[in-house]
Amino acid sequence: MPPGRHPLPREFIAQHQRARIIAALAEETVEKGYRAVTVADIVRRAGIARNTFYENFSSKEDCFLAASEFAVKEALRRVVDAASKVDTWPGRVNAGLAAFLHYVATEPALARTCIVEALSAGPAAVERYERSIQAFVPLFRMGRKVSSKGDELPGTLEETIVGGIFWILYQRIIMGQAEQIEDLLAELVEFSLTPYLGAEAAKRIAAEPPSTPSAG
Amino acid sequence: MLDLETRERAASPERERIVEALIEIASERGYAETTIELILDRAGLDRPAFDRHFRGKYDCFLTAWQEINEGCMREMLEAFNSQEDWPDRLRAVACEIVDNLRNDPGRACFAVEVLSAGDAARARRDMTMRVIASLIDAGRNEMDDPEAVPHTTAEALAGSAYGQVYAKVVRGEADELPALVPQLMSAAVMPYLGVEAGLAELARGFDPPARYRRDVAKKSSPGKSGGTNVPAEDYPPELARLPPGRHGLPREFVVHNQRERLIAGLAEAIAENGYSGTTIAHITRHAAVSRRTFYEHFSSKDECFVAAYDTVMEELRGRVSAAFEGAEDWPHAVKAGIGAMLEFLAAEPSLARLCMVEALVAGPVVVERYDAAIQSFVPYFQSGREGRPPEVLARLSPTTEEALVGGMVSLISRRIIAGKAEELEELLPDLVEFILTPYVGSAEAAKLAQEPD
Repeated sequence: MPPGRHPLPREFIAQHQRARIIAALAEETVEKGYRAVTVADIVRRAGIARNTFYENFSSKEDCFLAASEFAVKEALRRVVDAASKVDTWPGRVNAGLAAFLHYVATEPALARTCIVEALSAGPAAVERYERSIQAFVPLFRMGRKVSSKGDELPGTLEETIVGGIFWILYQRIIMGQAEQIEDLLAELVEFSLTPYLGAEAAKRIAAEPPSTPSAG
Repeated sequence: MLDLETRERAASPERERIVEALIEIASERGYAETTIELILDRAGLDRPAFDRHFRGKYDCFLTAWQEINEGCMREMLEAFNSQEDWPDRLRAVACEIVDNLRNDPGRACFAVEVLSAGDAARARRDMTMRVIASLIDAGRNEMDDPEAVPHTTAEALAGSAYGQVYAKVVRGEADELPALVPQLMSAAVMPYLGVEAGLAELARGFDPPARYRRDVAKKSSPGKSGGTNVPAEDYPPELARLPPGRHGLPREFVVHNQRERLIAGLAEAIAENGYSGTTIAHITRHAAVSRRTFYEHFSSKDECFVAAYDTVMEELRGRVSAAFEGAEDWPHAVKAGIGAMLEFLAAEPSLARLCMVEALVAGPVVVERYDAAIQSFVPYFQSGREGRPPEVLARLSPTTEEALVGGMVSLISRRIIAGKAEELEELLPDLVEFILTPYVGSAEAAKLAQEPD
């Protein structure tokens, strides 16, 4: 970001440019894979000058990191927003996951870029992957309060749940089934709730429609 | 006559040294900074030695990775089969993986670095992950209602376990892996056996089972130099009972994959209309998918064709090398390899047409691949030179093997063009005699060719 001495419109444009560059990176990545994408590709797709790219990001990796952060933040915002409209924790999981899957389905380029790359790239990706997982862990950890065995559950249970959901999405995207991601809702809700509520209760809640409009 | 083991002892140390050096260098420096020069320097070998075994750095990485994955799969299945009850079986698998990662940090780091090599490396890993998911999914057989657990559950559990283990390896915390095992086991058991059973796993801690039957292990690992396929009977019966498509064995899974369907659709369309007469509409109709789905996977007919060609050749190569490796000596290995090739092509006439005939008209990119594929069969024949008397070797020219492969391919192609792919297996005795004659003489070659299997 340019420093604050610039007049407001300039800053507004810069912010807009950042979003455009991130979108361009995502689109290029979906098309040819992250490794093959060059800064030149991004610049061309975003319709900006090369200088403008380097005013915003130091490198392709830097841009990717920003894209990843943006996507996680946006997904989390939507999840929390949807969940907060529901009173019970299991209902929140249902509503939150519905919002999450909807986001992935409607933002295919960005979601694919972040999910697929985090699980395909080498060691550099691992920190990003972990950070994304950790962002969602607290939402599930609340389930320990409603579980009769809350204190005894395995310490990494929430990582297992979030990581499992990520893996399923990753596999579906790789297999070219991104369009059907929202169909996974009931199975993933059941998967997430079972350790806290037991299989029967989890299945019952998973069968209920999420109490938030997924079209919004 | 030279038996397979002697050949391996003669041929593999060089190759093994290269692979070991690669794994060391890659785990120290990462994928990008690993060069062939560094590998050779560590291995104490020269460039021609490298070129004898690998087509380049990428090929070397993928070969090493493939071998690690195959070895890992074999060990997991042995661990699984060593126990009676499902949670014990799963625990044995988890302990086996963790033990291997701790005892061989170089390989563990390599398993992380290799993913930088791209999609092919990732795809091999995902194959192994599907097998792990199948082992977890076997838990549904312990339930009153085996359909009660969603099919995504095992996949999710396997994937998240991978993520957690992977992160520890990257951070150099492999020593903490044993503590992770009860946590992962607990989460894996809960959906199938209930929360209480999951908590019992947690209380149990890291509890590796007594060492299993290593004699069995030895018997089921024939080739040390690759192609160490797991014999079908080593797969636990649970795998066979799984619903197809989602958790079945990799190949079953692949058939249900859209991409794979498109590839099959392309092969059928080409068998009907030839390459140039095939349109994308033909392909999508045969594959029963939408045009949009096609474009999600491929940007053009050519790209789809290249993918189809690579898939078919990989399958073909896998079968040939498995048959070749399993034979008792070189002449029988040649016979088995050619037999496997003919069997595959005869059973899949449209794929046979695609890779042996249409490939030559599909444009320069494919023709290049076609040439490379043909070349990849040369080493199988070349190994027939080892141990031959000088007068025999004097008869062989440096290009004998290329000529043999070319002759074989042209005989096969002619049958396919004539629409007689189904009869390809009848060619076996003629081809075997043709290939073996320069090495063992015509009388012996004819005898081997006529030998019943």
